[in-house]
Amino acid sequence: MKHLLYALLLVASVSIFDVQAQAQVIVIANSNVKASAVSKNDLKDVFTGAATALPGGGNVVPILLKAGTTHEEFLQAYIGKNDTAYRAGWRSLVFSGQATMPKSVDADAAVVAFVSNNNGAIGYINKTTPHEGVKVLQIK
Amino acid sequence: MKRILVGAMALILGAIPASAQSLEDLNIQIHGYATQGFLYTTQNNMLTTSSSNGSPAWTEAVINVGAQPTPKLRVGVQGRYFLLGNYGNAITLDWAAADYKFNEKLGVRFGKVKTPSGLFNETQDIDPSYMWSLLPQGIYPISSRNSTLAHFGGVVYGTLKLGQSFGKLEYRGWGGERVIGTDDGYFVNQKEAGLNLPNGLSGVTLGAALHWRTPLAGLMIGASDGKDEKWSSVLTAGNGTFTGGETINPLNQPNYFVHYEKNKVMLAGEYNRLPVSGVLTLTGLPTTPLHIDQRAWYGMASYKVTEKFTAGVYDSQTVEHHAALGAARHSLDWAISGRYDFNQFLYAKAEQHFIAGTYLSYDTALNPGGLKPTTKLTILKVGVSF
Repeated sequence: MKHLLYALLLVASVSIFDVQAQAQVIVIANSNVKASAVSKNDLKDVFTGAATALPGGGNVVPILLKAGTTHEEFLQAYIGKNDTAYRAGWRSLVFSGQATMPKSVDADAAVVAFVSNNNGAIGYINKTTPHEGVKVLQIK
Repeated sequence: MKRILVGAMALILGAIPASAQSLEDLNIQIHGYATQGFLYTTQNNMLTTSSSNGSPAWTEAVINVGAQPTPKLRVGVQGRYFLLGNYGNAITLDWAAADYKFNEKLGVRFGKVKTPSGLFNETQDIDPSYMWSLLPQGIYPISSRNSTLAHFGGVVYGTLKLGQSFGKLEYRGWGGERVIGTDDGYFVNQKEAGLNLPNGLSGVTLGAALHWRTPLAGLMIGASDGKDEKWSSVLTAGNGTFTGGETINPLNQPNYFVHYEKNKVMLAGEYNRLPVSGVLTLTGLPTTPLHIDQRAWYGMASYKVTEKFTAGVYDSQTVEHHAALGAARHSLDWAISGRYDFNQFLYAKAEQHFIAGTYLSYDTALNPGGLKPTTKLTILKVGVSF
């Protein structure tokens, strides 16, 4: 019985950690992107190359982080793949002539700079990163 | 040569609107990958290699250059060095195309473009993107990949949203000219019988594909149908002593497929039928009819065991319904496979095949003592991509 309780506690704490991890990532967009909210499916389509526009939001240009906790959390929460599988998907599109690989940058600040300076740009950062000049998209 | 020009024209036309922009604005990217494979078979020699002695004769290197001068316009070109046994050992143009996407519902691509038939045709050559070393050979024969991968012409594509309850429908339509090169795997047996197609075989090809992304997350159901018009070409025999022609009648090649991928699991299956009829004529000799009715299917599954290691299995079966009963009528292939990603650039693969039947992947020149009905094939591969 004691072991079962420990196991339940462990599962609960992992779940809480997971929810907190997702809550740490926010999705930001250039101020000219019309949409203020986006569904999880539409976000996944944009970041996997299945779509190049948001419904009612015009063309969008995704930007990625090269690595790190925020990147892993974003992939886990919204794409459902790890980094290796995610980039393999993009390689399929690039080497079959169906898409151009999104830019990847080293730091959240570079994401914010790119998003604020490029029409249609959309990216993800840790919510504690300063992000003046961009809009935060609500995930439905 | 004219085909290289078509590709070059596609690039130039695509680049014109961007000529006033800076290189940074063009978003030029260069990507590539290279793989080295090793094959070992317990009995017959396969894929024109001396695999029964162990053969490293499987090398590929790809370079891809792309640019996106505007959000809706992309241009690109991809070249490949391919060597597998006696196949290839040459640099070829995979594709060279300009792509304009008006919106999510409509896009066009033209030049030398990948043919979007079946489940894997567009991606069958992209080794870094999947876990298998060798895709099911009944539908994706590596010895004919250069011919089936792309055509000269265009593709129209788009995605239609069907509402939250019905998912999405992706469509593709294609048309143009397909060229089967003189050294293609389809002609190996003909060549060994002394029949040569000095110009290869080419003709008009058309087709369409539908991919239904169902409301069940990760599940796609699809179908495609490729139609080849009547193709004909010069045929020679006896080192040019006899000349004539090979004619292939119009044919339809349907594919039906399903793909499911969620979290760590991937499941897929596909059925394909290739019915070929035609005639071989050589002056002074009786006409030889050609009849093939090849039906192939596979089912595959893979599981991501750890962040870096994926394992999988497939069962692939191919039967030539016009062939006489016996081992040469079919190919039944069980494969178990594993892939390890050291990092996002470097990976290794290992694959074991248990093959019954000799319908696919063999030639007689490298098996002078005849073919044994069963073979085990081991493949080791290492790849790097950027």
